[in-house]
Amino acid sequence: MPDLLEVKNVTKKFGGVVANQGVSFSFESEKVIGLIGPNGAGKSTLFNMVSAIFPPTEGEIWFAGKRIDRLPAFKVSPLGIARTFQNLQVFKRMTVLENVMVGLHTSTSSGILSAAFKLPKAKKEEETIYQQAWEEIEFVGLEDVAAVEAGNLPLGKLRLLELARALATRPKLLLLDEIAAGLNHQETAGMSDLIFKVRDRGVSIFVVEHDMDLVMRVSDRIIVLDQGEKIAEGTSKEVQNDPRVIEAYLGNDEEKEEGTV
Amino acid sequence: MKRKGIQQMSWKGLAAFTVLILILPFLLSTSLMITKATFAGIYTIVAVGLGLLMGFAGQISLGQAAFYGVGAYSTAILTATFGISPWLSLLIAITAPALIAYILGHTMARLHGYYLAMATLAFGIVIHVLLVEWKGFTKGASGFYGIPKLELFGFTFTQGISYYYLVWAFALLVIILSLNIIHSRIGRALRSIHDSEVASSSMGVDTGRYKMQVFIISAMFAGIAGWLFAHMSYSISPGSFGLDGSILFLTMVVLGGSTSVWGAVFGALLITAISSFVQALGSKISFITSDFEHVLYGLILMLVVIFLPQGLFPAIAAKLKPFLEFTGRKKKSGSITAVKGDQRA
Ligand SMILES: Nc1ncnc2c1ncn2[C@@H]1O[C@H](COP(=O)(O)OP(=O)(O)O)[C@@H](O)[C@H]1O
Ligand SMILES: [Mg+2]
Repeated sequence: MPDLLEVKNVTKKFGGVVANQGVSFSFESEKVIGLIGPNGAGKSTLFNMVSAIFPPTEGEIWFAGKRIDRLPAFKVSPLGIARTFQNLQVFKRMTVLENVMVGLHTSTSSGILSAAFKLPKAKKEEETIYQQAWEEIEFVGLEDVAAVEAGNLPLGKLRLLELARALATRPKLLLLDEIAAGLNHQETAGMSDLIFKVRDRGVSIFVVEHDMDLVMRVSDRIIVLDQGEKIAEGTSKEVQNDPRVIEAYLGNDEEKEEGTV
Repeated sequence: MKRKGIQQMSWKGLAAFTVLILILPFLLSTSLMITKATFAGIYTIVAVGLGLLMGFAGQISLGQAAFYGVGAYSTAILTATFGISPWLSLLIAITAPALIAYILGHTMARLHGYYLAMATLAFGIVIHVLLVEWKGFTKGASGFYGIPKLELFGFTFTQGISYYYLVWAFALLVIILSLNIIHSRIGRALRSIHDSEVASSSMGVDTGRYKMQVFIISAMFAGIAGWLFAHMSYSISPGSFGLDGSILFLTMVVLGGSTSVWGAVFGALLITAISSFVQALGSKISFITSDFEHVLYGLILMLVVIFLPQGLFPAIAAKLKPFLEFTGRKKKSGSITAVKGDQRA
């Protein structure tokens, strides 16, 4: 059995900026992996490559035995990768429920003509989409705002919405990019409970998070990036005691206040 | 059964509109007004397609009048020159624009950015030149004469009330098909692209494919409209299918608003009304010429873009909403929009 995700010697350059440099790691199914590092370390860039939003400059990314780093973004969702966005990317002018329904896009197939003529297949699929979207809405607890246009929701609900929408694609691997950013304590606690619940569904989760308590609590293993390079990998205890990790965090002024590492 | 949370199709709006269309001829006093109302239907078909393209695929076409022209000239040539049945040439009038749209769309790197506006602009110019210069087929600038009337079971649709109903039957069909598309998984996919293309593709939406499909559909609608126009008139000439025409369609969509199908319908009706009014004035006042009309449209475009970027229809719909919600269902507060019961069940 191939590993679920294999990142092989990946480098990403934006002009002169090296956002990722020779990053390699891999993990198997049913794990929660944390990805941490100071601001600008290249975490989101790595996520963008795993979700095929842009290709790496060098290196390869494999998912469940298939090379994905040259695929267009829309082709990785059906393989089982879903994500949330650090800078929220909700569909503002659609209702919460409709946002989640978009997540079911690839599990259905009726085309534009069967939609136009409302053929039986399209109607039946619409029913399925509706039911399954509701299940995810209930899973994250957004029932009471299901009919609200997403643009009108506060940040906490939007983070939940992005989670529900990603889950609706039935992913094998879920990428959460700072899903707790901007949340208060109570919301953050709720989010970490949800992450456990998602894991219990058999979904592997790759978490980027600044809230160290949360990352340490949910992750089985942690990968640390600094200035684009992987500097450590191990259990939360191991990385917490790693001198390079401590230095990376203490050497970075911005992180000192929140640096519980 | 739970059915809330989807922005649903308003059957009531459609029914009310259909009734309005049915009774309108009885309210219009002259045959000229019936003709104008028929044109409004033809323009509606084009505008609805362009509205889908602009509002739901986020693309602009500056060549919609050319697709309209391809539809009109293909049926004119096939029926008048080659004696083919107009009902058969309807298929060509739909598929020829579709094919052109497919080719244009493919060369435009799957409709990224604003290339489509440029490509359709160029296409429109090429078509116009072809219509004028390819005299063997099109008869050139003076126009193509002798297009046969439509017949069905021995009944001939001549200009007037019968043609009005024929055109609006097509227009209503186009409206219904478009509403169905918008309220489907494809419609949601398209709307999602508009809000965040990145998130959309991460959800597995092949954004290029759907933009392309909508572009093709908009071309097909324009083709149908061209077919209707050709068989309404005895003659057609290249002047109806140039850049002016494309900009007129664009103005309709921008004025009405492209976030809903009804916006485009509204825009088409309003522009036709304004144009009829200006032309009526023009017959009395000498300085009101067709140039004046173009300046007026330019002015309308500018004002709408500055003051009502969503177009008129959303603003009017919001004002009318309290009057339209006569279902007695408990109104939800503030931000909750378009909550409907189990209408689809
Ligand atoms: N699309 C982009 N274009 C140019 N530079 C980028 C882009 N995305 C990220 N970067 C740069 O790459 C580096 C890593 O950024 P990012 O991956 O967002 O870090 P993190 O998520 O760890 O905070 C930063 O220097 C950032 O400015
Ligand atoms: Mg980031």
